[in-house]
Amino acid sequence: MRRARRAVVATAVLGTLVGLTLTGTAALAQDSSPATDEKITFVAATTNDMTTVNPFKAIESPEYEVLSLNYDLLLNFAKVDLGPSPGLAESWSKSDDGLTWTFNMRPGMTWQDGEPITGADVAFTFSKIVEYKLGTSLDYLPYSDVDSFQGDDTTFTWTTEVPTVAPEIPPWIYIVPEHIWSEFDKEGFRKWAFDPASPPIGSGPFQMTEWDEGQSWTLTANPNYWGGAPKIDEYVVKRYNNEDAMVTALKNGEIDYLSGIGPDLFDSLNGQQGIKTWVGPATGFAQFSMNACDLSTTVAEYCADTGTTGHPALLDPAVRQAISHAIDRQTLVDRILGGYGAPGATIVPPFASYWHYAPTAEETFAFDIVKANEILDTAGYADTNGNGTREVPGGGDELEFRFILRSEDEQAPDLGRFISGWLSEIGISTKTEVLTDGKLINAWYANDYDLYIWGWGPDPDPDFILSTFTSGQCGSWSDTCYSNAEYDALYDSQQTATTREERQAIIHEMQQIIYRDVPEVVLYYDQSLEAYRSDRWTGLEENISPQPEGFLWGQYTAYSALTVAPIGAGGTTASTSSGISPIVWLAVAGGVIVLVGVVMLARRGKSDEDVA
Amino acid sequence: MGTQRYLLGKLGQVLLTLFFILTFNFFLFRVLPGDPVSLLVRTTGAELTPEQQDELRAELGLDQPIFPAQYLTFLGDMVTLDLGESTILQPGRSVLEMFTERMGRSLILLVASTAASVALGMLMGIYGGWRRGKTFDNFSMGSSMVLYSMPEFVLGIILLLIFSGWLGWFPTGGYTDPVADYTGIAYVTDVINHMALPFMTLTLAYLGEYYLLMRSSLLDVMGEEFITLARAKGVREKWVLRRHAVRNALLPTVTLIALSFGFVLGGAITVELVFTYPGVGLLSFQALVDRDFPVLQGTFLFFSVGVMLANFIADLLYGYLDPRVRAS
Repeated sequence: MRRARRAVVATAVLGTLVGLTLTGTAALAQDSSPATDEKITFVAATTNDMTTVNPFKAIESPEYEVLSLNYDLLLNFAKVDLGPSPGLAESWSKSDDGLTWTFNMRPGMTWQDGEPITGADVAFTFSKIVEYKLGTSLDYLPYSDVDSFQGDDTTFTWTTEVPTVAPEIPPWIYIVPEHIWSEFDKEGFRKWAFDPASPPIGSGPFQMTEWDEGQSWTLTANPNYWGGAPKIDEYVVKRYNNEDAMVTALKNGEIDYLSGIGPDLFDSLNGQQGIKTWVGPATGFAQFSMNACDLSTTVAEYCADTGTTGHPALLDPAVRQAISHAIDRQTLVDRILGGYGAPGATIVPPFASYWHYAPTAEETFAFDIVKANEILDTAGYADTNGNGTREVPGGGDELEFRFILRSEDEQAPDLGRFISGWLSEIGISTKTEVLTDGKLINAWYANDYDLYIWGWGPDPDPDFILSTFTSGQCGSWSDTCYSNAEYDALYDSQQTATTREERQAIIHEMQQIIYRDVPEVVLYYDQSLEAYRSDRWTGLEENISPQPEGFLWGQYTAYSALTVAPIGAGGTTASTSSGISPIVWLAVAGGVIVLVGVVMLARRGKSDEDVA
Repeated sequence: MGTQRYLLGKLGQVLLTLFFILTFNFFLFRVLPGDPVSLLVRTTGAELTPEQQDELRAELGLDQPIFPAQYLTFLGDMVTLDLGESTILQPGRSVLEMFTERMGRSLILLVASTAASVALGMLMGIYGGWRRGKTFDNFSMGSSMVLYSMPEFVLGIILLLIFSGWLGWFPTGGYTDPVADYTGIAYVTDVINHMALPFMTLTLAYLGEYYLLMRSSLLDVMGEEFITLARAKGVREKWVLRRHAVRNALLPTVTLIALSFGFVLGGAITVELVFTYPGVGLLSFQALVDRDFPVLQGTFLFFSVGVMLANFIADLLYGYLDPRVRAS
């Protein structure tokens, strides 16, 4: 009796479920046809995450990308050579004494909330940077104080203490509206965070409107942008942890653009139907640093305080130059970067074409083991005990260096093997340690290392990367605590040079000094690798920046973001998300329920017999 | 009465374990070199004078001795579920809030895939063990060995290449489609589509293990004398299997399933990573990479409590499956 009732209940439940499934399916069949919005969305993918879009706190490259779309600079980076070009300021001039710069604001511009943009907004932003010193690398407004900046409706003036080209660098500071930010104090600036309920008000071509932490963020086009409305409605960035998944997503059309993949995956995209791969500029470099803590220079105090343990032989330029001769940079480019890069030379990468200095054939440290050995022989380093490693002249220490590699760098093991191999050929032995970034930072602060490998991604303007080799940066941004009074003086004079040409000459000389003195070896410049759906999008390749080798997307000043458009200008959403339709899922679910139900009923029937 | 005492005893054990886990967690993060303030200064580049750093230390209670002052504060915080604030990932955001946002996603994935792999694996194991050496057993034995020995990320990438790359059925990662603003049924479908591959990966990755467990456990029981007795009594084969063999074979399997839950959690981290599925596993990975210690500490707590609960549930099930356990 009980069993019979159960069977009835089961049948009833099953019937209801099947019924519901069918109704659902029918409802969906009606639901799924129309209402596809005609929004044009460009979808990019990245493996880098953001932690903040606060214009005064950003550090990571995707954060800067969002800022460059949401806000404007006073002066933009020119499309071709990244030099100063009109931004919020339409034109600018300096006074005869070189102390006062006047910027004429472009008329008729408005913030994304409709308020007019004025010179007072610029003065407000710059003076807050100087006043609050929020501690990011944005803080370079040299020879200026809070009162240096004045603005009215149509102009902005900047008065410096000494003549300098700094106002034209251009300052990489995103201008924020005074009418919104004036209510914050220093803590308010520091604490400001994205809030979807009141999206950040800027002046750029897009406005960030959504942020699903760790997953994606969305920027919506600003139709009133002073440079013209973008041709897309939305720009979405999807984050991936897995490069393979990202590449698959580009192949099956889930995303339209990607960057930041390794050379092997990049090669796998070459020649794919509808996909164009793009080798961009070399904006960063890998550096091989040698402890230069010299107790006879101006950095002595810091070095002595930290109790530097650097090998004394590394303070001898001859040893460093021999090492520079022993590193085959071209092999590193071919074997580590898969050919997507250029052999390293000076500390200003070639993409900053106006500032980059390429060593002459005579100056170049060509790969030459014989010559490297000669240099060490001449300097008196000989292997007197016959163990294969040279010693410091006069019965000193063996030339055995501690060599730190980063555990967070995939290429580190290979780089380490190549370099250790070459060094052993010139009688220098290495003891390799693989450390996390945290531990390397500790060793670096304490000057407790001989050699290490890390990298830089310098700005288009060389000021910052040049500053990292000045004595004053020891214990802060300096890679090696290198100290050279001549170099320090040149650094100051490039900031006060009154013409661009004069500044270029000084900067070239500074690069020569670092290259010749070798506090570190620039191993290679790695090129950016990008790919996009060329079967769907146009307007990217024509607008790369800088030129001739430039980024398709994620540019210093957004050019292609204004021109990217779907092919055919149809107006349908180009990317379709993959996935099975609800009907199929319901059918699957219905199928499973029916199957389970049938089996259950069949069994019940039988078990009644069994019990008997 | 017996049941009640059994439950209370188990609960007491759970609380005691929790206390030890918390204590271990506390000291584990304090023996790491470098104090959080100097780490904060280095990783964020914030310019703080030594006085400001001292102030911050006082504010965070780091000027107090580790034992007992800091330890007691810590226990108090844990009891009130105050897990602190994220320092790097989402500076200033409460860790608990970050968890509640992601916990549901991970739980659905974990519960659904564990249920599916346990159910399928056990059914297959029973069938395979019962008909040892037949075609089904040979086939499922071979495939289970392959699945069991394959790392989750390899399996994940294979499924990704097949179902996203080749067939184009499922998206390559994420939790929802950020481009479309779905609502209602379309939203649910979108989530299911995004969950399909992580679910399949986790289910398949542990299916083999449960199959092998159930099968071998059943084979052990089948050699017991009470089975022979049951058959001698003339009980039908089907009832020998259901009433006598399976019921007894379940006991060791349930224990092992509970024990293996820790590995499933580890697998979930890998799978969430492969498919960029924004759950607690991905959060723990990011916290580790970015050295966000409050979040990391939270994930440790989450995972250890998870494993503990799984074992507690196994104990309860044990009591249900085997009355002898309750009595003793």
